[in-house]
Amino acid sequence: MRFVVRRLSMFLFTLWAAMTLNFFIPRFMPGNPLQALEARTRAKLSPAALESILSSFGYKPNAGLVPQYFTYLKDMLTGQWGQSIGLSLGEPVRDIIFQALPWTLGLIGLTTVIAFVLGNVAGIVAGWRRGGTLDSWLPSTLVVTANLPYYWIGMLLILLFATTLNWLPADFNYDPSILPGLSPGYIGSVAQHAVLPAFTLLITSIGGWILTMRNNMITTVAEDYVRMARAKGLSDRKIMFNYAARNAMLPNISGFAMSLGFVLSGSVLVEYVFNYPGLGYQLLNAVDNNDYPLMQVLFMLYTIAVLVSLLVADFFMVWLDPRAREKG
Amino acid sequence: MRRTKILAAGAAIGLAAAVAGCSSTKHASDTGGSSTGSNTVPALSANLKAGGTVTIANETGATWNCQFNPLTTNQQEANGYLYESLLYINPLQSSATPTPMLATSYAWNSTDTQLSFDVRSGVKWSDGTAFTAQDVAYTFNLLKQYNSLDTFALWTAPSGGGAGMTSATASGDKVTLTFSSNASVFFYDVANMVPIVPQHIWSTVGNPGNYTNTKPVGTGPFVVSSCSADNIKYTANKSYWMPNEPHVQTINYPAYLSNDPANNDLASGKANWGGQYIPSVNSFYVSKSTNFHIWSPPVANVSLIPNTVQGPTANLNVRQAIAYALNRAQIAAIGEQGEEPAANQTGVVTPTFNSFLNSSALSSSGYGAQNLSKATAALKSAGYSSSHPLSLTVKTVTGYTDWDADLQVIKQELAGIGINVTVLDEADNTFTSDLQNGNFQAIMYGPPAGPSPYYELHLMLDSANDQAIGSAGQGDYGRYKNSAVDAAFGAYAAATSPSAQQQALEQVETYMLNDVPLIPVVESVDWYQYSTAELAGWPSAADQYAQPSPWTYPDVEQVLLRLYSKTAQ
Repeated sequence: MRFVVRRLSMFLFTLWAAMTLNFFIPRFMPGNPLQALEARTRAKLSPAALESILSSFGYKPNAGLVPQYFTYLKDMLTGQWGQSIGLSLGEPVRDIIFQALPWTLGLIGLTTVIAFVLGNVAGIVAGWRRGGTLDSWLPSTLVVTANLPYYWIGMLLILLFATTLNWLPADFNYDPSILPGLSPGYIGSVAQHAVLPAFTLLITSIGGWILTMRNNMITTVAEDYVRMARAKGLSDRKIMFNYAARNAMLPNISGFAMSLGFVLSGSVLVEYVFNYPGLGYQLLNAVDNNDYPLMQVLFMLYTIAVLVSLLVADFFMVWLDPRAREKG
Repeated sequence: MRRTKILAAGAAIGLAAAVAGCSSTKHASDTGGSSTGSNTVPALSANLKAGGTVTIANETGATWNCQFNPLTTNQQEANGYLYESLLYINPLQSSATPTPMLATSYAWNSTDTQLSFDVRSGVKWSDGTAFTAQDVAYTFNLLKQYNSLDTFALWTAPSGGGAGMTSATASGDKVTLTFSSNASVFFYDVANMVPIVPQHIWSTVGNPGNYTNTKPVGTGPFVVSSCSADNIKYTANKSYWMPNEPHVQTINYPAYLSNDPANNDLASGKANWGGQYIPSVNSFYVSKSTNFHIWSPPVANVSLIPNTVQGPTANLNVRQAIAYALNRAQIAAIGEQGEEPAANQTGVVTPTFNSFLNSSALSSSGYGAQNLSKATAALKSAGYSSSHPLSLTVKTVTGYTDWDADLQVIKQELAGIGINVTVLDEADNTFTSDLQNGNFQAIMYGPPAGPSPYYELHLMLDSANDQAIGSAGQGDYGRYKNSAVDAAFGAYAAATSPSAQQQALEQVETYMLNDVPLIPVVESVDWYQYSTAELAGWPSAADQYAQPSPWTYPDVEQVLLRLYSKTAQ
């Protein structure tokens, strides 16, 4: 119980600290929303009119930082997220988020899960058959691919599969000429458009899982209880999954919880390269245009997602591992 | 690589146009010369069959919000498609007669303080209600009532840089706008840039600045058929007032978040109308099909703006040395890969505004071509030489890779005479802030264009725009102060004849050559790519009937009205 209270209060304190930083740091960036809007309208429109457009959407250039900060805290917690004062001028932030959220969750979330599952299975097999065929080339290849920048892989895949071979679309989340709906054409189009960005992420993220899993397996396989299982004459398969892998996977599980937390912040670069309208892309736009309302909501969501998954990972570890409970 | 043009970027052509609007005679305007009279329709390609789809590939940088407020937030996707202005004025042909749109003719009084329009009869809003002169007067009065809508400062007093409109009234088919002083330089904005909205709808929507207008009702040639965050689909307005128009039946306007995907779709033929920078456009795009074409009319300058009040560039000799030392043709050929032409020191964009260029003054000034001996001499009078070089920091925007390439060439050229250039790439926000605050020694910048050289030069040189270094100014970023130049701008605005305007502008050109308050490097162009595989009727170098980029409004309407499907014929 003491553990739960301590973790929860730590969670609340971190959330408050992060939200305070989220408020102040963007406002210390050079420029302001008015200057950004003037630049977008190429100094053509009357600054007085632009300022009054922005204030009609809730921008208060002259209000003091402290009162603004308290309104900000209240608004964030009550869900009064306001309207964008950047590129999507006047659009409610809530709409922007809900528009982008499913695409990011779908693409990045699903890819993260797939990478975790595939990575662990491959890691288990490679670690079990140490020095085998798989193990002899996989780790060395992965050391390379895991460290390639994913925007670069993305551009390479576009060049190969979209521009040269013309097999797969390189941009958008679905063919914009199809009306969204539960039609097979639409679903097929969504899947088709997800292939390249998903592969890009998979290629770069799967390596980490395989490498850690393989190394954990190698240590675990040397443990006494595995030798014991062999002595009992259990099948290889049973030992591999139920004895070795089950224990070797522990550190990877908390890593997985954390990487789920980072799904929301998406992959700004992947979404940018593939013209995929998710949250990461919205963040880039918000920062480029000093769009404080959108930026602060995005940062808050990212913070909450990461903190919640850390908390869950903590609780999960304690539940799985009695040693952690004792240290509590 | 990125050249972002968003939202009101189409307002690109800004503050007004004098040239077309300065005479006091009444114009029964017509196009194509086929018909005249007070209520004629612009004669376009008649007798063409309907059909065809336009797919636009133009980086918009954000997904669509499916709102269509033409006055504030959605100018780019509403104006020209759904809403129309009174006249269309072609900034590329500043001496041409305006094309009548919702107004059939216009007239100025002798002092250019009163402008009246005859409003077209027989036009219907897309909900079936009749369009009247009341709607026009209502729209202009709406701008007065809500100053967030008055983006061209029409109701602001002339002392505050506005047009000084004092009233807008309708009587019968006539609308009369009154101004407190000569407003001819605002003619372009008043007649061409203000979209007319229906009174019967807008009078009931509360604050029109925030109105989302998700079910737009306009007079334009298209209506919204469906809209999602990724795509706007427009279809032809069946009750459009121009007979037999539009020919094209569907427009798809996907929301491209960055240039590369848009460029790929143009190169694969998926999209047929583009409007952004394509690196190595000839090999990437033009060579892919005989149907793929480009045309990029120059509209403004990309200049090095020297800080004229502090730092080394406050010294005229240094500015002269830089202007003499640049080989602009080389910069255009290497830095811009020939996709943007070289600029000249008068600040007049050629060939678009050739008629305003004082070419004899340019050649006698010695700035016509690179002149290294003059450059070295000028730098020597400023106290610098190859053995005692000047260090100069030039700021630019991160992501404009062509400007970076230009600056590399500039750096080499200036190193030859004894100026060591350091290039500083800044993020958008920092760049804009430094530009407006005058926080630079020299800065690379491309201002918006206008329908004559007046608009760019006025923005960049009139000291009425001045602020102290450190406070944000809305123009004259180099803080150049010269009362003679200010007076020449005043004379241009008050001029009631083209020759008086020409005279005023030539004076400004003279000071551009003598004082070097700006150093134009290359000319910025309207990026434009089009495919003739299915559609014909595109604007081209041979037929410059409108600014050709899909993001320039209201010009986009002129293009859409002329396009037709080749296969449907």
